[in-house]
Amino acid sequence: MLKATRRDWMSMTAGGLLGASMSRWMPLLAADTAAAAERKRSCILLWMPGGPSQMDTFDLKPEHKNGGEFSEIDTSVPGIRISEHLPQLAKQMDECAIVRSMSTKEGDHGRATYLMRTGYLPQGPLRHPTLGSLFSKELAQTEADLPNFISVAPYRFLSPAAFGPGYLGPQFAPLVVGSAQPGQNDDDENSLQVENLKLSDAVNTAQAGARLQLLEEIESGFRAQRPGVAVNSHKAAYDQAVRMMQAGGAAAFDLSEESDETRDQYGRNRFGQGCLLARRLVERGVPFVEVSLSSAAGNAALGWDSHQNNFETVKSLSEVLDAAWATLMTDLKQRGLLDSTLIVWMGEFGRTPVINANAGRDHFPAAWSTVLAGGGIKGGQVYGKTGEDGMQVAEKPVTTPDLLATICAALGIDPQKQNMSNVGRPVRIVDPEAKPIQEVLA
Amino acid sequence: MKRLMVLVLVLTGITTGAGQLRADDVADLAATIDQRISARWEAENVVPAPETDDAEFLRRVYLHLTGKIPRVSEVRAFLDNPSANKRRELVDELLESPAYIVNFTSVWRSLMIPDAEADRQLANDITAFEAWLREQLTHDVRFDVMVRELFILPRSMPNNNNFTPGTPVEPSPLAYLRSKQNKPEVVAAQVSRLFLGVRLECAQCHDHPFARWQQKDFWQFAAVFNPTMPAVEIPETKQMVKAAYLNDEDAKRPPGTTIRDHFGDWLTSRENPYFARAAVNRMWYHLFGTGLVDPVDDFDENNPPSHPELLDELAEAFAAHDFDIKFLLRSIVASRAYQLTSRQTDDSQSDPRLYAKMAIQGLTTEQLFDSLAEATGFFESNADRNPLNINDSSERAKFRQLFGNEAGGPVDAETTILQALALMNGEFVESATDLEQSTTLTAVAESPFLDTPERIRTLFLASLSRYPSGPELERMVAYVDLGGSTDDSKTALGDVFWALLNSSEFILNH
Repeated sequence: MLKATRRDWMSMTAGGLLGASMSRWMPLLAADTAAAAERKRSCILLWMPGGPSQMDTFDLKPEHKNGGEFSEIDTSVPGIRISEHLPQLAKQMDECAIVRSMSTKEGDHGRATYLMRTGYLPQGPLRHPTLGSLFSKELAQTEADLPNFISVAPYRFLSPAAFGPGYLGPQFAPLVVGSAQPGQNDDDENSLQVENLKLSDAVNTAQAGARLQLLEEIESGFRAQRPGVAVNSHKAAYDQAVRMMQAGGAAAFDLSEESDETRDQYGRNRFGQGCLLARRLVERGVPFVEVSLSSAAGNAALGWDSHQNNFETVKSLSEVLDAAWATLMTDLKQRGLLDSTLIVWMGEFGRTPVINANAGRDHFPAAWSTVLAGGGIKGGQVYGKTGEDGMQVAEKPVTTPDLLATICAALGIDPQKQNMSNVGRPVRIVDPEAKPIQEVLA
Repeated sequence: MKRLMVLVLVLTGITTGAGQLRADDVADLAATIDQRISARWEAENVVPAPETDDAEFLRRVYLHLTGKIPRVSEVRAFLDNPSANKRRELVDELLESPAYIVNFTSVWRSLMIPDAEADRQLANDITAFEAWLREQLTHDVRFDVMVRELFILPRSMPNNNNFTPGTPVEPSPLAYLRSKQNKPEVVAAQVSRLFLGVRLECAQCHDHPFARWQQKDFWQFAAVFNPTMPAVEIPETKQMVKAAYLNDEDAKRPPGTTIRDHFGDWLTSRENPYFARAAVNRMWYHLFGTGLVDPVDDFDENNPPSHPELLDELAEAFAAHDFDIKFLLRSIVASRAYQLTSRQTDDSQSDPRLYAKMAIQGLTTEQLFDSLAEATGFFESNADRNPLNINDSSERAKFRQLFGNEAGGPVDAETTILQALALMNGEFVESATDLEQSTTLTAVAESPFLDTPERIRTLFLASLSRYPSGPELERMVAYVDLGGSTDDSKTALGDVFWALLNSSEFILNH
């Protein structure tokens, strides 16, 4: 072996385990996943950290003193009226089901975030997985070129544990892009790129292939002698990373492939471009993408938490939300993807109907709104109702598990399926007491 | 046999005093461990894995005790050391090193204040807490004394509010209670998990039909931590309960002391059956990756220990040695069970609770960063020579962000895609494998007195803390001498180093 020639070396590497993938170092065209017959459903979660005001978005009370400054406008569905600051979305109301009767008990950001994003309240050492981990595990396609769960610009500080894979483990962790940092104000499109996805400038593809071959040679002995989860997950992560690097993975995140016009329509801000990215990822078969809108300026402020100046903040956030969300739906529809893509809009709670002394609204879990749209949803309807002053749910209260079970049904997931938890007992995807809202399901 | 030896030593007057005889307590406890562990092997027809070679032991014990891999010179010195007692000598040395203090500061911090990281208002308190832990560890403060201090409110609050980076902070354990927002039920839940090994909080909301602890027990215990009065109301009931410890003992306190002072005495008392057991179980978990009771915080009749006698014996020995954590560590790592290889040599070794081979553990973010720094000669890795210097370079901060489990615990033994990408293409490993930037690589590649095999051996020692096997060496030498894919043997050497640093053998403790 010491006398091996260069040709021997090359033939050795070509025959190795990574040989097949090495030959793929040329960029590949992304497959047309929309055309694939066995396509499963995808979910895009539009996450609104801080708790958006239902009174100023989807459940206005213009007749009541709690109503505030905003007017209602008509939508494409007769009888359904929403905020004047969501005009583009209003035109797509036939795809949306507004749930106006969310009723939960958690008024603390941390606990409410944990509840809405995992379906459970914190229970000591039990580490509940976030929805993206739970659902993408069910919807995953094996050997996909892209990860199954991608989180765009998450705002994790309110409840870090509600953003991770919990007991499902790192294999189901989100690939995070564009994570907002305190004090950072960054609308730069590059901030939505996957870090370290490109080879360093100093390394060419032949060298990268050779390095991987060396790695495989070192790994194989260790792996054979020490079988188990740790070593297997190392291989799985490296294989997936390499697939992403090779097979148009980086291209999926390259928004400059889109026309200026498209990019403008989504809005030149982190959330708008994040929604555009979500469309590109769903097109490529990623089953779960979440995009967070924490502030209109794209910084790490917690905009929806409008204890002061509620109307000013909600107006500017609504404008960002409206353009991005409406364009996302149009775009998905044009590509024939809206029927298989569920869009969920929610935060951790709503806001007080009563306007406080600072022209703000405070935390309010008793009666608030969420929106479901697209795949699996019977659009053009409002489900549930709040009273005249907005203080209580008047009809058909919906709990967190109810909502999540509805989402499961729309995605074709069995909410009663169990996963083994870190405390040695199985836990269902959604609390067994949940009742899916049949009326909003297509 | 051992007793006979002792008798002979005593009779011949070789020993100089009782103190030296007691030094063998380490060996005695290690023997007890092995007796209990091997009894189970026999009962279960398990064929244990063979003992480690020196290199495997060296890397493992460095990671567990000092939180990072050894340097090349340390590996060579240890492998060449002919002393029959060199493993114990090494452990003694490591336990007295500054790196031990840095490592266990990080271990206790993540156990005691896992919730602090997420709260930016606590940044100064965390710094003060770390300083306090370092102080405790530097002075070898016994575990019971250290834990008791967590509950004693200082007479004057340290003024750490105007913290500026670089200036020393006053050490203080206040972050412990502050990170639990001083809420009685949060403190009670965390105290019972960490120091008693029981999960009381399940009883917070309602009674469980089969569990030992009922809702009233929980709130009685929580009331101990009520700063205003020794009682608390059970939420959503009108029921007030008086503070009481878990053995139903009234939490009475002598006049002039706080209930928390008194709680510390109850918690760390030798009569408390939980305290020592919970602590030894934690340390066992730290070293083996599986607790004798596992999960480590679930001591319960429905979750019995794998080796009940051993748990009792460890707890007794720990208490008898004044809750000396170092004694405990010294004894466990001296056992044959700890010194088994992690290679699986028989199917019967697959149950982790039989300890028939060493488990494979993930590294914490700190361990991974410090090990990478050590392997690559990253200049800030020397900072821990001075335990007062917190090694928080921006590189480390970036790393924490990428690898840190946000709950503050250890990195799972599983690898994520982002971690793989960071190690494959990230700046840190890239510069470590770039001839113009890497300290280790440049030294290896440029030394005129090294031939290719010796260069490869050095890179293996720097990263995996072992010599390459024959076939590994042959392949790597062939690759480098042929210039790899770039026709340049020095670049090819960088490729070898890259592969070593990306290997699971490097990323895991095994």
